[in-house]
Amino acid sequence: MNHDPFYWGRPSDETYGHYNHAIANAKSQIPTSHTQQPIITGTSVLALKFKNGVAIAADNMGSYGSLLRFNNIERLIRVGTETIVGISGDISDLQYIERLLHQLQTEEEVYDSDGGHNLRAPHVHEYLSRVMYNRRLKMDPLWNAIIVAGFSDDRTPFLRYVDLLGVTYGSLALATGFGAHLAVPLLRKLVPYDADYEKVSEEQARVAIADSLRVLYYRDARSSDKYTFAVLTFENDKINVDYKQDLKVENQSWRFAENLIGYGSKQQ
Amino acid sequence: MTTIASEYGNENNSVPIEHRFNPYSDNGGTVLGIAGEDFAILAGDTRIVSGYNIDSRYEPKVFDVGDNIVMTANGFAADGAALIDRFKSAFKWYKFDNNNKKLTIQSAARYIQHLLYGKRFFPFYVSTLIAGLDEEGKGAVYSYDPVGSYEREQCRAGGAAASLIMPFLDNQVNFKNQFEPGSDGRVKKPLRYLSLEEVLALVRDAFTSATERHIQVGDGLEVLIVTKDGIKKVYYPLKRD
Amino acid sequence: MKAVENGSTSIGIKAKDGVVLAVEKIVNSKLLVPGKNKRIQTIDRHIGVAYSGLLPDGRHFVNRGRDEASTYSNMYKEPVSIPHLMDRLGLYVQNYTCYNSVRPFGVVSIVGGVDANGPHLYMIEPSGTYWGYTGAATGKGRQTAKSELEKLNFEELTVREAVKHAARIIRQAHEDNKDKDYELEITWCSLEETGGQHQFVPEDLLQEAIKFAQEEDDEDDEDEEDTEMAT
Repeated sequence: MNHDPFYWGRPSDETYGHYNHAIANAKSQIPTSHTQQPIITGTSVLALKFKNGVAIAADNMGSYGSLLRFNNIERLIRVGTETIVGISGDISDLQYIERLLHQLQTEEEVYDSDGGHNLRAPHVHEYLSRVMYNRRLKMDPLWNAIIVAGFSDDRTPFLRYVDLLGVTYGSLALATGFGAHLAVPLLRKLVPYDADYEKVSEEQARVAIADSLRVLYYRDARSSDKYTFAVLTFENDKINVDYKQDLKVENQSWRFAENLIGYGSKQQ
Repeated sequence: MTTIASEYGNENNSVPIEHRFNPYSDNGGTVLGIAGEDFAILAGDTRIVSGYNIDSRYEPKVFDVGDNIVMTANGFAADGAALIDRFKSAFKWYKFDNNNKKLTIQSAARYIQHLLYGKRFFPFYVSTLIAGLDEEGKGAVYSYDPVGSYEREQCRAGGAAASLIMPFLDNQVNFKNQFEPGSDGRVKKPLRYLSLEEVLALVRDAFTSATERHIQVGDGLEVLIVTKDGIKKVYYPLKRD
Repeated sequence: MKAVENGSTSIGIKAKDGVVLAVEKIVNSKLLVPGKNKRIQTIDRHIGVAYSGLLPDGRHFVNRGRDEASTYSNMYKEPVSIPHLMDRLGLYVQNYTCYNSVRPFGVVSIVGGVDANGPHLYMIEPSGTYWGYTGAATGKGRQTAKSELEKLNFEELTVREAVKHAARIIRQAHEDNKDKDYELEITWCSLEETGGQHQFVPEDLLQEAIKFAQEEDDEDDEDEEDTEMAT
C-alpha cells in the first residue's frame, strides 16, 4: 500500500495501472460562463460624512428589470459593532457578500480568544476591494457598487467606495448608481471641500440624506420610498449606531409634476 | 446560451452568445514626472472620474513606495492601485531576502517591467511613472506603457492630459524647437538642468492649463519631490469645474 | 492515551440553563503573561471547547470544528446543532485511527454549548468515541473531578452556580499536583447569561468563583483538622 495521504482513496497502480491524469485535467467542451448582467437589482446607496460620524441610507427595493420584484430587501449590512456596508446592484451577489462578511466577522471576532484585533471599516473596505478586484480578474465580477461607512482606527469618520471593477475611492459624500448623478450634488452643496466635513452637524447630514432620498424617489423609477437609514456617531469615547428600518420618504410633494409634459423639457 | 445540436444525437455543443463584461474603465486624471540635477518630482491631480461624474475630488495617486522612490500608475484606477500594492509588497520581500539592501531606481524600474509584462495578455491599463535619484544622485524618471515597455527620461506626462502636457514639456524642459537668438533657427538652445523652482512652476502651469482644457483634470494637484534628504509632499488647489 | 491522561485537568458542566467549561492551566514559567495564552476556544458563536493532552492536536481539532460549523451555517443559514457537529467531529477523529500513516489525536476534548434544543455537553476521545454528559472531566485530575461532579445536582444547577463549582472542582483536582502553580480559565454559554454566546466569564465572577473555591477548601481543611483532633 502506498501510505502517502495523497494517494488515499485512489485506484492502486498495481491493480489498475498508471492513472491517466489527462482524464482529471480534461477541459470541458463548454466554456465556463460567468455573470454577464445583474438580474434583480437594488438602486442607489447614499452616504455622507459629518462632524463626528457618518450617515448612510438605502431603500428596500429589489427590481427585476422594470418590475418591482421585492420591497423588503435590506441593503445596509452591519459588520462588527461599528461598520455599515451599503450595497447596490445585483441582489444575489449582495447576499453572497453578506455571507462573506459574516464569515469575516466570525473569523476576526469569534476565533480570536486573546482579544487582539478589532474589525473596523478600513479593514472591511480593504477586504471587499480585494474580493471585488479578484473577481474582476477572473472575469466573473460581483455585480455591485458598495459603500463602506464607519470609523478609522483614530475614530475619524471613514467613507469609501468599491465597485465591480475593483475601483475604490473616498470622499465626504458618496452615492452609487443614480444617486451619483442626483444626490452627490445635493450632498456636496452642504460641504464643497472634503476637509470641511467637520463643519457639518449630524442633524444637517440627516436632513441632507433624507432630502436626497426624496429627490431620488421623485426621479429614479427604480427607487422606493421605504428605506433604511443608519447614522454612526462617535461621542464621549463611544460609538453609537442608530440603525432604523422601514422609514418612509417624508414631505413628498408632487406639485412639480402637474405641469409636466413628455420628459419634462417642454412646459405646456 | 443557445444550444446547437450536432448530427450525433447525444452530443450537444453549446455556444455562448457574446455578451462580454468589460473589465476596464477610465478614471481620468493626469500625472507628470520631471527629473532635475539633484532632484526629481512626480505630480498628479487628485480628481477621480467615471464618465462625466466626478467621483472624488481628493484621491491621491502618487505614492512614496520606499527607498526614496515615488510611483504612480494612472488610467484605470483599480489596476493602478493593484500595481502599486504589488510593487510595495515586492519591495518588502526584496528587503527581507537581500539583507535590507537599498533598492536602486534602475532595479525598481526593471522589476516594474516584470510586473507589467507578467500581465501581457490581461494588461494593467495604466501609464506608470516612477521617480527618484540614480546612483550618482541625479534625478531620474522612468516611464512605462501598459505592458511594460520602459525607458528613462528627463520628463514624461501620462494619463488623460498627457497629449496636452507632453509637447509643452518637450519645449520647456528639453528646449525642443528653441534656438539661439540670432542663429536663424540653426543653433539649438543648449540643454541645461532646471532648478526645483523652475520645475515646480512648469508643473503648476502644466496642470492649470490641462485643467482648463481637459474635463477629467482638476480639483487638486499633489506633487512629491524627491531629494537626497527625502520626500516632500506639496498640494496646490486646481479649478473644480 | 498516556499524553492525554497526564494533561492538565479540563472539566465541563451542563447546568439547567447552559454549560460551563473550565481548565486548570499549569504555569510552567513565571515569565508567561498572566491572563494571556487562552486555552479554551470557540468553535462557533454558541459552541466552546476545552481539551487536555497535546495542545497542538487540540488546535487542529478546533480548526476542523470551525470549518464544519462555518460550512454548515453558510449552507443552511442557521447555527450548527451541537449533536450534528459532534457526529461530524466523531467521524473526523475516528478517521485518524484507520491509517498507519497517521497517529490518532492526542487530546480528549470537552465540547459544550447551547443550540435550538438547549444546552449540550459532549466529551470526545482519541478513538473517536463521544458521549453526551452532564458533567465531564479529563486530564490528570479527572478522578477527583469526576467524583466531585457526581455530587452535583444538575437538575437544579444554574450556570452561575456551576461557575463556582467549576472553580472549586479544578482546585480540588489540583491538590495532588500542588507543587505547581496554576491559573484558572472558565467560559460559559447560556441563553440567560450570555445570550447564547460562548464567552469567558467576566473578571468579577471569575474572582468570586476563585474566592469561593478557596473558602470551601479552607473549610475542608478545618474539617480535616477537626477530625484529626477527634481521633
